[in-house]
Amino acid sequence: MSFFDGWPQWDWVSFAQWFFLLYFIGINSGYMLLNLLSLGSLKRYVEMHSLDDLPRSVSGFEPPVSVLVPAYNEEATIAGSVRSMLQLNYPEYEVVVINDGSKDGTMAALQREFSLLPFPEASWQRLRTKTVRGIYRSATYPTLRVIDKENGGKADALNAGINAARYPLFCGVDADSVLERDSLRRVIEPFLEDPRTIASGGTVRIANGCTVDSGFLTSVGLPRNPLALLQIVEYLRAFLFGRLGWSPLNAVLIISGAFGIFRKEVVVEAGGYRHDTVGEDMELVVRLHRLFRARGTPYRIVFVPDPICWTEAPESLRVLKNQRVRWQRGLSESLTMNLGLLFHPRGGAAGWLAFPFMAIFEWLGPLIEVAGYAFMISAWLLGMVSGEAFWTFILVAFGFGLVLSVSSLLLEEISFHIYPKPGQIAVLLVVVILENFGYRQLNSLWRLWGLLLWMTGSKARWGEMTRKASWQTGGGNP
Amino acid sequence: MLRLDFNLSRIPESAAAAGWLPQDPLLALVFQTGLIIIACSFLMLLSVFALRMRLLARQRRERFHEARWKPLLAECVFGVPERLPEVPREMRYHFLKHWNYHHESLVGAARRNLETLAERMHLEEVARDLMRSGDLRQRLIGVVTLGHLGDRTQWHELRALVSDRSPMLSLAAARALLDIDAAATLAWLVTVMASREDWPLARVVAMLREAGPDRCTQPLIAATEAASRVEGGKREVVRLLQMMEVAHTERVAPLAGRIARESDEPEVIAAALRLTQDPRDLDIVRALARHGEWFVRLAALRVLGRIGEPADRVLLMDLLCDTHWWVRYHAARALITLPGARLEDLDKVRGTLSDRFAADMLGEAIAEARA
Repeated sequence: MSFFDGWPQWDWVSFAQWFFLLYFIGINSGYMLLNLLSLGSLKRYVEMHSLDDLPRSVSGFEPPVSVLVPAYNEEATIAGSVRSMLQLNYPEYEVVVINDGSKDGTMAALQREFSLLPFPEASWQRLRTKTVRGIYRSATYPTLRVIDKENGGKADALNAGINAARYPLFCGVDADSVLERDSLRRVIEPFLEDPRTIASGGTVRIANGCTVDSGFLTSVGLPRNPLALLQIVEYLRAFLFGRLGWSPLNAVLIISGAFGIFRKEVVVEAGGYRHDTVGEDMELVVRLHRLFRARGTPYRIVFVPDPICWTEAPESLRVLKNQRVRWQRGLSESLTMNLGLLFHPRGGAAGWLAFPFMAIFEWLGPLIEVAGYAFMISAWLLGMVSGEAFWTFILVAFGFGLVLSVSSLLLEEISFHIYPKPGQIAVLLVVVILENFGYRQLNSLWRLWGLLLWMTGSKARWGEMTRKASWQTGGGNP
Repeated sequence: MLRLDFNLSRIPESAAAAGWLPQDPLLALVFQTGLIIIACSFLMLLSVFALRMRLLARQRRERFHEARWKPLLAECVFGVPERLPEVPREMRYHFLKHWNYHHESLVGAARRNLETLAERMHLEEVARDLMRSGDLRQRLIGVVTLGHLGDRTQWHELRALVSDRSPMLSLAAARALLDIDAAATLAWLVTVMASREDWPLARVVAMLREAGPDRCTQPLIAATEAASRVEGGKREVVRLLQMMEVAHTERVAPLAGRIARESDEPEVIAAALRLTQDPRDLDIVRALARHGEWFVRLAALRVLGRIGEPADRVLLMDLLCDTHWWVRYHAARALITLPGARLEDLDKVRGTLSDRFAADMLGEAIAEARA
């Protein structure tokens, strides 16, 4: 008599069917739970900030911040971006632009627009970087400094900025980001509310279709480009519950490089941004979790749901594919470089929930998802799987995808109402349905490609993206 | 006993008879779950629409009422309007937001006119109702309004709210009490401010600044003296010293000097040095400029930058070669601000420095002073 006698008779096809089906149910149930957590967080957040528009809510005693703007070949947009960053509504801050050996006229544009003069700074090289060729100060804007250095990548540029930063908090901002005027004030809140806060990040939204004048967003609109439209729903999902859900558990593993604020000493102590990853923003956050958890030092890494930063989304398949491949590689690197956090005895929610969730559903997810679709389709075509089982799989996969997308739109409708016209909401509702037919599957394929590239160890550098900036008007460009 | 058939690849013979639902019970369950999820999605889609319609209706209502309220509230700049604004029950929260916005934006007679208008509208009753509601937003606006109205009848209830677990609500209650009677409140509130670390220091300092140095200096001194006598009161003392930024500096300086002299705690010393500006404390400041902790040396250097004497130049030149960058940075700046310091002389001294880091730092400070 065999050990397996009396057990249900499983063949490999049945096993595979149930594995993929349960995986899809598992991933989506996980997201649904995050969704519920986000709902609670969002309600609390909106309540807590209900008096923010009263004049007395501004204290004027916020800590000073160094805004670091790494720039590589940003000749077309750098002057407008910097000009908008110099007009933020915040009591005390400096803007440090780091020209990372741009090959175009980025440095010349900065010199021309801001009357830069070389300045003999005794900089503190606490983080090793490529050679700094010169430090400049603006004759017209006393709070603007520019570091001109040899090319070393975004992480290297940020590290050079940290070395030069004068203030205890620094805020990394992408040179092409469009910020709200009170972005800093809103993202700094967690530092005021809890001294244990070491990092906070805000929601990034898509600027395509919006109107930007002199570096500031003047009206919110939807893009005509279908790819950009699909990314709007995707960003809602990623930020409103992909990150907000983890925040109350102190398990946010990603703060977008487009806009995130950090306690400088903590980052320097952790060794700064790593050069050997394309996901330097996520890697730093996961590393901070790992180090603080291992030491048992109390800390908070917080996500602020306010839409405070707008960025241009790719409008062509090629650029979008490159972006997603890069993101997946960044995720792979960030997790594998910090495996010590996974199930660490003091790992808390970050090590026991967020990390395994990321690893199973985000990191290895594309592999299982693509394999799942491929298996089910081929098994059905070959007659190995019943039509009932196949259509049940499709129904569940589609149903969960739909419910998650719609719920992110619901969260948005409950909280910020960024898109003011009913017609815009109607368009987004259609997009929410359509994205399940092809776009999400295509994304899984690109992410799988990113995973494979990471496994084969091919190199990557700055995320070069063709920027149209067609939404920019006014004095944005030189 | 029910035995589940796990073999999903088998096509049941009765499938056709069953119609659209799979025959396998487990598969049927999953299928039904999928259908329920899709149905939920469409319900949510509808609720997004419904929410948007509700929002638009609410915004229309708000705009309608705002168009009537705003001119009346604006009239308060010149006098109390004859006609009182009409505020339907469901618009009370919004009206109070507008009223408070105007109250915080206006001063003098205009503000008093707003208060008279509120009195005639019995807004204090509305505010009390909202303060006791279960919704945090309504409670907050109720508390803020009571403060602006100076409603003493709610003193005890507001005082109880200062102990509330919610930092937002407790801070709003503290602020309301300060609005009602700052002198009576500060005597005990500063100790609460020192112990409640969940109250952001920036907000606490802003509240004290509003109360004004005349009112808050003495309570802060008394609370700091009391806390410094308590064993283990280091954190409170540091927080109180940080709060003293808004007090009369000449009155808190002697206490700060004494604490800097007597304390063994580096954090306390550094916080006390921030307030030190009495030349009689220069001896202890000079001694602390050689302290083992870099942030104490830094705080001492900042004092020397403010009240240092020409005789401190030797000490500052020494500290220009400190191991810590920030100490060198502030030593260089203090050298420049010393009475009688001349940039040309310092430039010559810089040329003689053998420590490259010290020379660079002094060079930067000189360039900055010339810029």
